[in-house]
Amino acid sequence: MSVGSMILRRSLQLPLVLGAVFLVTFSLMWLVPGNPMESEGRRPPPEIAALFERSYAMEDPVEFGAQYLDRASGFAWLTGRHDRPFDLGPSLRHADWTVNEIIAAGLPVSMALGALAMVFALAIGLSAGILAGVRPGSLGDSIGQGVSVIGISLPGFVVGSALSAVFCAWLQWFPVATWDGWRSAILPALALSLPFAAVIARLVRYGMLEEMRSDHVRTAMAKGRSRAGAAVHHAMKNALLPVLSYLGPATAAAMTGSFVVEKVFAVPGIGRHFVEGVLGKDVTLVMGIVLCYSSLLVLLNLAVDLLYRVVDPRIEAA
Amino acid sequence: MRPWMVLAAIAALSALWLGRGEPEPRADIRFVSAEVFTLDPQRMSWQQDLRVARALYEPLLVRDAVTGLPKAGLAQSWSCSDDGRTWTFALRTQARWSDGSPVAASDVRYAWMRALLPDLATDFAGIQLRIEGAEEFLRWRAEALAAHAASPGDPEALWSRTRETFDRLVAVRSPDAHTLVVTLVQPVPYWLDLMTFPTTSPVQERQAERFRRLDPASGTVRWDTAWTKPDALVTNGPYRLESWRYKRGMRLVASPMWWNHAAMRNQSLELVPIADAGTAVLAFDTGSVDWLCDVAVDWRSDMAAQRRAWDARVEPVARRLTADGLEGDELIAALPAPGPGERRDLVVIPAFGTEFWQFNCRPTLPDGSANPFAIASVRRAFARCVDRVAIVDRVTRLGEPTTTTLVPRGAIPGYESPAGLEMDRERARIELAEAGWSDRNGDGVPEDERGAPFPSVTLLYSVSVDRYKLIALALRDMWRTTLGVDVQLVGKDTKFFKDDLKQGKFMIARGNWYGDYADPLTFLELLETGNGNNDRGYSNPAYDSLLHEAAATRDAAQRLAILSRAEALLMDHDVPVLPLCQLSAVYMVDPASLAGVSHQPMLEDEFWRMHRRTDPEREALSTLGSEASR
Repeated sequence: MSVGSMILRRSLQLPLVLGAVFLVTFSLMWLVPGNPMESEGRRPPPEIAALFERSYAMEDPVEFGAQYLDRASGFAWLTGRHDRPFDLGPSLRHADWTVNEIIAAGLPVSMALGALAMVFALAIGLSAGILAGVRPGSLGDSIGQGVSVIGISLPGFVVGSALSAVFCAWLQWFPVATWDGWRSAILPALALSLPFAAVIARLVRYGMLEEMRSDHVRTAMAKGRSRAGAAVHHAMKNALLPVLSYLGPATAAAMTGSFVVEKVFAVPGIGRHFVEGVLGKDVTLVMGIVLCYSSLLVLLNLAVDLLYRVVDPRIEAA
Repeated sequence: MRPWMVLAAIAALSALWLGRGEPEPRADIRFVSAEVFTLDPQRMSWQQDLRVARALYEPLLVRDAVTGLPKAGLAQSWSCSDDGRTWTFALRTQARWSDGSPVAASDVRYAWMRALLPDLATDFAGIQLRIEGAEEFLRWRAEALAAHAASPGDPEALWSRTRETFDRLVAVRSPDAHTLVVTLVQPVPYWLDLMTFPTTSPVQERQAERFRRLDPASGTVRWDTAWTKPDALVTNGPYRLESWRYKRGMRLVASPMWWNHAAMRNQSLELVPIADAGTAVLAFDTGSVDWLCDVAVDWRSDMAAQRRAWDARVEPVARRLTADGLEGDELIAALPAPGPGERRDLVVIPAFGTEFWQFNCRPTLPDGSANPFAIASVRRAFARCVDRVAIVDRVTRLGEPTTTTLVPRGAIPGYESPAGLEMDRERARIELAEAGWSDRNGDGVPEDERGAPFPSVTLLYSVSVDRYKLIALALRDMWRTTLGVDVQLVGKDTKFFKDDLKQGKFMIARGNWYGDYADPLTFLELLETGNGNNDRGYSNPAYDSLLHEAAATRDAAQRLAILSRAEALLMDHDVPVLPLCQLSAVYMVDPASLAGVSHQPMLEDEFWRMHRRTDPEREALSTLGSEASR
């Protein structure tokens, strides 16, 4: 299949994927009890709550869902029934913001932070994995393995709190809970990157172990290549393939923000909005973020598949 | 191109993008508060929104941060007619909006009309509903909207009819630009207190009309979200909005148009919304913020212990300084600085609110079985088992003032609180026996006449913080040991907890309530038959008629006496709620650095009074302290 037809096919799949995601999330959100208007123990009188629901067309889930899809997809705009495309509606809880405004403010922050975190993750994960894979059983291998176990198993709030306690409170190298400039992005990016780095290190290590034992690498060494030379020139390229397929979903996950890391470092990204939206039954906010996340996931997976073909020409897109 | 170069390029680009823009200079006062939901004063209901509203807007009256009493705000003077129903407010002629235009009485009327719009679903419309004609207007509008939804007409026409109807029905008139005359359905003794509430603040009609949007299908009105953003929002308070970025912070700067601008002690405020409790404390400890409006519940106990340790050590010096006439923040700032394991920057303020557990008073439980707590003497028996002092000393470890009444004792001048039920375990067993439950077969569990054991009691609470679970555990032990009943804990996520409360799916549940205005009614109406917040399903005609009697009473002292009798009926006899302690606000603020934070139970601040102490000021105070320690 040609690259062009692959892109075409994936783009046609996108609406289907988004539709399925929409249906599942929407049904779940609708079933959760609660009311976005509720605050601090007080609750609105029933007739007011009914009017609120009417003004957001929330009386009937089918009608609400249909209207939402109509506006969010841009169909209503194309057919001249709505004044803007991709309108994800007002946030039900944060009355002063639309979901589009909230995502526009948070997504770039989360994406930039996620990109930085993935760079950290690759730098840490690749070097640890390659070192460990070239000399299995060595001291470097044990350290790398240990670090990656910690990276996978330690929850983000522990890593985040520990980092900010050491670098913000004790050494005072970085500001606390402010979001000004690149300096405030370093620690959250680092905290965000560790679990990804750990997984990458493990993938690379296994890949390297396999490859170092393979016929073509052993042949290269038999012909006089040093172990390091064989690793870099013959083993590495193949060992990195599994990392590549992991990168798609990992980057999407990192770029859509982490609730915990964003909370601990007071990062104004969209990771927090999702969880807080679910807790507050902010249906429109949750839907908007889920749709945004799914699109990102599909696009990044497509990018990875394209990259795959560049790295390994044998692969035909399935 | 090498892969590492790609990575480096991505890293550099992300860092550059994240680092773009100049960091703003530090505001005079930075404080941590939860993210604001709305800056539309009529739609506010959360504490953090109301707090900011007091900086941005000025209602007719404002609450003095020191005395806690209402005083002149937008209105310079006021008078009340002899029948107590008609209030005339004279607005300050020099009152200006932040854009320089004068604040007119019509702006107040416009705001109050908005408060009464059913489509805006305001939480505090109850204030304006006390005005003559307000109920009719609200009903008219709701019916008009229903009619419009059934057969949509011109939404603009509906809107202008709405405005005409408001003018015709609702007794809020402005004979001239600076006079507002309000006629109430019946006298409201605490009307001036209500006039300090931020949701009664004016909005500039001209600007608000620009952002008004009508939904053609439903006919409902909504204000465009752009209205409350820095470029558009016009306010009449001490500050104006300079910037607001979602969950990133809000900056207010002093408005030179405010009539009392010359008296302001600071020129800018910054609200920093830090969601994580630990990060917020870290930000405070490193000096990045000056004031933490709310310390997470789970952190409070240990910090309060550190504060008590410091209080105990400096007590003798404090006594000498107090004798010299020093008090409040100045006194704290003059005392010797805290050592290791001590802190002085934690302030526990008993608030105008009560924490309680509540009984389901309906005759049957949701599963159809008979509800033992429908009987008052069973509720009294349970209430008499509770050792409140043990709970605040050993469970919550905050030492909150315990209480046996719903209305905080001593909070309302002239109001006499009933005694309530103190712990009395012997009486508890007797009361339970009087209700027909006693241990007939010697197994330690009370049974009814037919020998059926007391049903297993469930305690419902939300698992959002540990506190509630710990209290529930303590209550379970007290009830088990004293009465021999089986008690089960049911912890639920906040949303499910609230849903169960609303539907009456509980036997005993946790609850609390903050008063909105300085009158016992703000608590007592919770137990009125049919009140939307009466989760307990409590209904006693004698109680309801006392509330009606109080409403019809003109004499203030007499009225309070009737309300006191009503509360006595609740707390001495019926106990639909079991009060535990007064709620506390816990701030982190160092009085030696930031002066002027209000310690009033209503937690209403006048931001313009606050200022960071200068070095000479701090030195002068600490010199006073060291002299006193010698």
